[in-house]
Amino acid sequence: MKRPSFFRIFMNTGAWLVLAFLILPMLVVIPVSLTDTSYLAMPKEALSLRHYENYFSDARWLDATWQSFYIGVLTALSATVLGTVFSIGCWFLSSRASTIARWVLITPILVPPVVQSLGFYRFWVQLGLIDTVTGVVLAHTLLALPYVSISVFAALANLDRKIPQAARSLGASVPQTVWAVVVPAARPGILTGAVFAFIVSFDEIVGVLFITVRKVQTLPKMIWQGIQDNIDPTIAAVATLLVLATLVLMLAGSLRKT
Amino acid sequence: MTDRSRFTGPMPATDDDEFRRDLGEIALEKFRSGRIDRRGFLTALAAIGVAPALGNKAFAAASEIIVCNWGGAAIDAVMAAWGTAFEAESGIPVVVDGSGPSAGKIRAQVEAGAVVWDVCDSGAGSSLILRDQGVTQEIDYSIVDKSKVLEGFAFSHGVTNYYYSYVMAWNPMLTGGKAPADWAEFFDTEKFPGKRTFRKSVRGMLEPAAMAMGIAPEEVYAFLGTEEGLAAAIEKFRSIRDHVIVWSSGSASQQLFLQEEVSMGCIWNTRGQLLLNEMPAGSFDMKFNATLAPGVWVVPKNNPAGSEAAMKFIRFSQEPAGQVVLLEMMGNGPANPEASSAVPEGLRPYNPSSPENRATQITYSWDWYGANQIRAEELYVDALIN
Amino acid sequence: MTTTTIDPPAAAAARRGLSDRGWYWLFVAPALIAMVVFYIWPLVQIFGISFTEPEFGLGNYAALVESRPIQTSLVITFRVAAVTTLLCLVLGYMVSYAIYNAQHRMVGVMLALVLLPFWISVLIRSFAWIVLLGRSGVVNDSLIALGLIEKPIAMMHNEFGVVLAMVHVMLPFAVLPMMANMKGINRAYVDAARGLGASEFGAFWHVYLPQTKPGILSAALLVFVLSLGFYITPALLGGGRVLMISEYITYQIQELLRWGVGSMLSVTLLVMTAVVILAAARFVNLRKALLERG
Repeated sequence: MKRPSFFRIFMNTGAWLVLAFLILPMLVVIPVSLTDTSYLAMPKEALSLRHYENYFSDARWLDATWQSFYIGVLTALSATVLGTVFSIGCWFLSSRASTIARWVLITPILVPPVVQSLGFYRFWVQLGLIDTVTGVVLAHTLLALPYVSISVFAALANLDRKIPQAARSLGASVPQTVWAVVVPAARPGILTGAVFAFIVSFDEIVGVLFITVRKVQTLPKMIWQGIQDNIDPTIAAVATLLVLATLVLMLAGSLRKT
Repeated sequence: MTDRSRFTGPMPATDDDEFRRDLGEIALEKFRSGRIDRRGFLTALAAIGVAPALGNKAFAAASEIIVCNWGGAAIDAVMAAWGTAFEAESGIPVVVDGSGPSAGKIRAQVEAGAVVWDVCDSGAGSSLILRDQGVTQEIDYSIVDKSKVLEGFAFSHGVTNYYYSYVMAWNPMLTGGKAPADWAEFFDTEKFPGKRTFRKSVRGMLEPAAMAMGIAPEEVYAFLGTEEGLAAAIEKFRSIRDHVIVWSSGSASQQLFLQEEVSMGCIWNTRGQLLLNEMPAGSFDMKFNATLAPGVWVVPKNNPAGSEAAMKFIRFSQEPAGQVVLLEMMGNGPANPEASSAVPEGLRPYNPSSPENRATQITYSWDWYGANQIRAEELYVDALIN
Repeated sequence: MTTTTIDPPAAAAARRGLSDRGWYWLFVAPALIAMVVFYIWPLVQIFGISFTEPEFGLGNYAALVESRPIQTSLVITFRVAAVTTLLCLVLGYMVSYAIYNAQHRMVGVMLALVLLPFWISVLIRSFAWIVLLGRSGVVNDSLIALGLIEKPIAMMHNEFGVVLAMVHVMLPFAVLPMMANMKGINRAYVDAARGLGASEFGAFWHVYLPQTKPGILSAALLVFVLSLGFYITPALLGGGRVLMISEYITYQIQELLRWGVGSMLSVTLLVMTAVVILAAARFVNLRKALLERG
C-alpha cells in the first residue's frame, strides 16, 4: 500500500472537520441542559436535572408536545394515504400528464416557507380554519405530500410492470391488483414517506406561526416563543430530548436494516 | 370591499397594537407585588361610590360586557383591576377576550354586522382611523367623565385608559457604571461602547434620535415633520448601525438585556419594570426621558351590551383604585391624574404618567405617525440593514 | 423516455364501468386536487393581492425600483444565499469525496453523521447556535476563560452568524446530490490518468472533478433555491440587520399590515426562485435533482 498523498490526507481531514462541524454544535445543548444555573450556561458547580423537571412538570410544554405529536400522526396518516395512492396512480399512468401532476405535488419543497404561509393564512381565514387542529393538519399534509410521493415513487421504480399486468389479466380488479401487488412493493417507500411526513409536521414552524393563535400550541412554536421570550435552559432540555430521541430512532432504524 | 380585506385588510398601523399585545405577554407573577387584596379592593371601590350610577333598567338588560384586549396576563389584570369589581357592583359579568382588537378586526365585525366586543383596548391613532371609517361610537361624555383624563387625551370616539412609555434603559455593569446623561450620550458609541437595542419598527424611535441632536423635546415632531429633520434623525441611526440590534417584540427586548447582548436600549417601560426585578441589583436602570403614549378605549358600533352599558364600564374604569391595580400588575400608568396620589410610594418613580415623569417626556404624536409612518419606516429600515 | 401504456382487457373494464386509466386518475385525483385547491390556489390569491391591495395596479411593484431597503434586502438575500451555497459546495464536496473515495471502514459512520442533522429541526439547530455564539455564549466564554480574547467577539446578530448557521442547515442538502453523482462515477478514468503519470491531485482536478460537475450543479441549485427563502435562521441570528427577503415580508405584514407589499415581495421571491430553477435547467437534470431525489 502506498503512503497516502497529501491530497488524500487533506480531503479526509477536511471531511472529518466538516462532519465535526455538522455534529458538535448540536451537542452543545446537552451540557447546557444539565446546567445548575437558571440562565443559559455551562454547568458551574454541579450537574442538575432541574430543567428536565421543569419540562416534565410544565403543563404547557407537555400539552404542546402532545399536540405536536398527534398533529404529526394525523399528518403522517393523511399524507401517507393520499401520497401513496397518488404515486401508485402516477406510476401506472406514467404519462406526460402524470409527470406534470408529480411536479405539482412537489411544489411545496420549492416555495419559500413564508410565502406559502401567507397563502395559507389568507385562505384559512376565509375557510375559518385559523387556530384549529384541522387547519394545521391540512397545511402540514400538503407540506408532507412531496416527501411521501417522492419516496413511494422511488420504491415503485423497482417494481416490474408485468406483475400487475399479469394480475389484471388473471381477472383481478384494479383495486385488488393495487392492494395485492403494488402496495407490498411500495411498502418501504410508504414507511419512509410516513416517517418523513411525521417529521415534517413535528418540526414545522413558519406555517403554525401564521395559522395558529393560542388554541393550537405546538412544540416548535413553544421553542420559538421561548427563544424570543425567555431563553432558559428548559429549551436546552427539550432540544436534548429531541436530539437523543433522534439518535435512538436512527440507531434503531439502522439496526433494523442490518 | 372584498371579503378578504375585511379580515386582514390594510389598516395603517399608526399606533401601537403591538404594545398592547405585549402587555398580555408580560408574566403576571413576576410583577405582582402581593399587595392586591381583592376584598379590601372591593370595599375601597364601594367606598368611592361608583355603585349608585349603575342601577338603571337599560343597563340591567345587558347580560355581560365583553372587553377585548391583547390577551395573556392582561386578561387577569383587567379582571383584577375592573372586571370583578364591576360585576360585584352591577351584577353584570365582565368577560375579557384576549384575541386582540386590531383596527382591522373591529372594522370587520362592524361591517359583517356581527359585533362581539363591547369595549376594546385600542390606541389613539387607531381610534381616529376607526372614527373616520365610521365603525366606532362617539364617547358619551355625559356618562364618561372627561375631567378624569388629562387634557387632550379624551377623544370624540375614544378615551384614554392608561399610559405607557418608551424609556432609555441601560446596564450599568456594561457601561462601566456610567449612566448616559441624555440621548446624545446614548448615541455616542465612543463614550459608551457596546450594543444598543432599538425597535424593529420606527415607532417611538425617532424621538430619541431627534433629542440626541439637541432638538428640544417640544420641538421634536416639528423637526421630524421637515424633510431635513427626518433625514437627519435617520442618519443618526445609520451612523451607529453597527452597534445596533433590533427588538421585534417586547419580550425580545427584555431578552437582549437579560442575555447581556446589549448594554443600552430604548424599550417599553413595562419591560424595563420586569428587568428591574429580574436582573441582579445594579445591572439595570431606566429613565423616563422619551415618549409617553396612551392606550385608548373604543366602543364598536352596535356593540352587544348596548351603548350605555359600555360607557358605564368605561366610567367605572376611570376610578383611581383600578388604575393603580393595573399599574401594579402591568406597569401601565393611570389615565386619571387623581390616581397619581394613590400610587404606592415605591411604585411612583416607575409610573409613566406621574407628574414628575410626564414632565420629562413628550407625547407620542399619532398625527405625525399617521402622516409619516410608512415613509419613515422605509428610511429607518434602510438605515439599519447592512 | 417514451410512455408505456398498459392496455388491460377492455371487456373487464367495461363491465366495471371504469377504465383502468380512469381508476388511475381516480388515485391521482385526491392528492392533486387537495394540492391545487389548498396550496396552489392560495398562492394565486397572494399573486392577486399583490396587484389589488391597497388599490388595483402595479403600485406595489414600483417599490422594487423605488424602495432602497427592498433593494438592499434583495442584495442581502442573494449574497447570503450565494456565500452559503459556495461554502456548502466546497465543504460538502470534501465529505462526499471522502465517503466515496477514502475506501476506509468509517464510510457508514460518515454517512450517518451527514444524515443525522437532517432529522433535527432548524429551530433546534438555530437555538444551539445562539447558545454557542452569544455575547456570553459558550464560545466567547471559553475563549475568555482560555485567555485568548479579552472582550467577547460579535459572532451573532450579524451576517457571519447567519451564514454559519445556514451552512450548517444546508450542508446535507449539498452532500446528498454530490454523493449520488459520485456513486455512479467509474474510477477507471482517474486510474488511467494516474497510470499515465498524473499526480493524485492532477488526476482529480483534470479528470474526476469534471465528471462530478452534474452533482455539483444539482447541489448548488438545491442549496441556493432553499437558501433564498430562509426565514428562521436569519430571524433568530441576524439581529434584525441581516434582513433577508422572507423576514422583510413578515415585517411588512406583521408590523405595517402592508399586505400588498408583502404579497408583491412574495411573488418576487417566487419568480426569482422559478428563474433560478429554469436557468439551472440548462445545466442540471431537474428531474433527477428535484423530482426523483431520494
